[in-house]
Amino acid sequence: MATVQDRVIEVTARVLQLDAADITPDNNFTSDLGAESVQSIELVAMFEEEFGIEMDEDGALAVTTVGSAAEFIAGVCKEQGVEV
Amino acid sequence: MSVVDARKTHELVDTTEPNLLEDVFDYGLPPKIRFDGPLIEYIDGQPVEFDPNSAKKRDIFITDTTFRDGQQARPPYTIDQMVHLYDLLAQLGGPQGVIRQTEFFLYTKNDRETLDRCRELGHEFPECTGWIRAVKGDFRLVKEAGLKETGMLTSSSDYHIFNKLKFKSRKECMDSYCEVVDAAFEAGVRPRCHLEDVTRADWDGFVMPFVDRLMRMSEQVPEDMGVKIRICDTMGFGLHYPGAELPRSVPKMIYKLNQECGVPSDRLEWHGHNDFHRTHANGATAWLYGCDALNGTLFGFGERCGNPPVEGALIEYISLKEDLCGIRTELITEIANYMRSIDFPIADNYPLVGKHFNTTRAGIHAGGLRQDERIYNIFDTTTLLNRPPRVALTDKSGADGVAHWVNEFFGLKDADRISKIKCHKVARWVMDQYEVEGRMTAISDEELEAKVQELMPEYWETHKGKLAGV
Repeated sequence: MATVQDRVIEVTARVLQLDAADITPDNNFTSDLGAESVQSIELVAMFEEEFGIEMDEDGALAVTTVGSAAEFIAGVCKEQGVEV
Repeated sequence: MSVVDARKTHELVDTTEPNLLEDVFDYGLPPKIRFDGPLIEYIDGQPVEFDPNSAKKRDIFITDTTFRDGQQARPPYTIDQMVHLYDLLAQLGGPQGVIRQTEFFLYTKNDRETLDRCRELGHEFPECTGWIRAVKGDFRLVKEAGLKETGMLTSSSDYHIFNKLKFKSRKECMDSYCEVVDAAFEAGVRPRCHLEDVTRADWDGFVMPFVDRLMRMSEQVPEDMGVKIRICDTMGFGLHYPGAELPRSVPKMIYKLNQECGVPSDRLEWHGHNDFHRTHANGATAWLYGCDALNGTLFGFGERCGNPPVEGALIEYISLKEDLCGIRTELITEIANYMRSIDFPIADNYPLVGKHFNTTRAGIHAGGLRQDERIYNIFDTTTLLNRPPRVALTDKSGADGVAHWVNEFFGLKDADRISKIKCHKVARWVMDQYEVEGRMTAISDEELEAKVQELMPEYWETHKGKLAGV
């Protein structure tokens, strides 16, 4: 079963049109992966859809790396009783 | 600058709480105008102090010339249009008569019917006055109309005296004007002498001797018949800067008429033109230096580049008085909408009433609006003008701009507002318009409405009944 991090990488690759194999946990969404303003919003929206959760907008947009996104999402899933 | 060393050290006052200067910028009113010292003008080489706070205490007011100067610059209004506008002006100025008078032509049957119908409305303010040439025969029109006051052309520059009116001398001109003033007194009509082209006139050689004579004539009639003086900056040459010289200096003109010629403040009126973008500042300056009446037109529409805008003067008035004083500011928007409906053009970026006067386009500004609308809105335009701040969308608007537009569209406030994450599909569509489709124009409200319905159907279903009239 795919981990939270695997799924975050998969969504990131799809939204930013990158190869998932090139994405690592320490990649910064903006400076390493080239996410622009609207793409950051799309990433958050797609993470919500992928995991079936609702994230705090300011908190989610403050996350900068793939690894910290996985941690943030795992925390939200736990809070909202979503199994991952 | 003086040679005194004015340098000081300024220490940071650190705080974790913002100081929003709400005493001045209280948001519920236009920002207040405060003064912390006198205005100093050198008159004939001597410093003279003016107390700008006197304007806060004096009964300053606005007079309107929408139907005279305003109409000179456009095809005639219909009678019904003028009567409706007069009614709106009366409501706008409120019961204290901040818009105190408005003037009408008297020459045609339509002019006179308009005047009669406006007076039949029974408003105390604005008082209807007339406007005639400096011709004795014209007083018959004023008298027949039953008006108590009329403006009359008393052009004051040599451009007008010699080159236009063809007088042989200044004395012949002054005698002629004074004959008409006498005729006004005899007819029981208060004359308001319009010193046409006064910012290009010889003040020592004509303007002040003429006004001196008018004041002497006024001593022979009851006080409420005394001549009023309209200071006409016909070509927009007036300058509000301290230190400017006559005949262009607004402060010096007011001082000379008020203090040297003895024209009381309540009989002085400033009439400006906007040829050099100075019309509003010059009018407000006239208030500060001792002239009580500021003459203007709705939306500044008048000959060539126009006149002081009445709605701008009202906002200035509120800012000075720090109170609405009965002015119904929301009528400014209603009048602008009416003017548009009768094909009166108003630029999109025109202050207070333009389609985009409180619209922001940059995404970073929209983000500010989303957090606290005071950041990018001049005052509470929703309450005072019935115009909530808006965001127009372009490639610079970002998701913040889209979210602001969507929330304004649905009329959602506070916790009900939709996050920008939920607006991501519309935001993507907007970006693709520019990045993929190569679009070069702003996106219209109609296009966005269609896209919100298509891309946010669940919100459309929930909120479409709450549409906020955008």
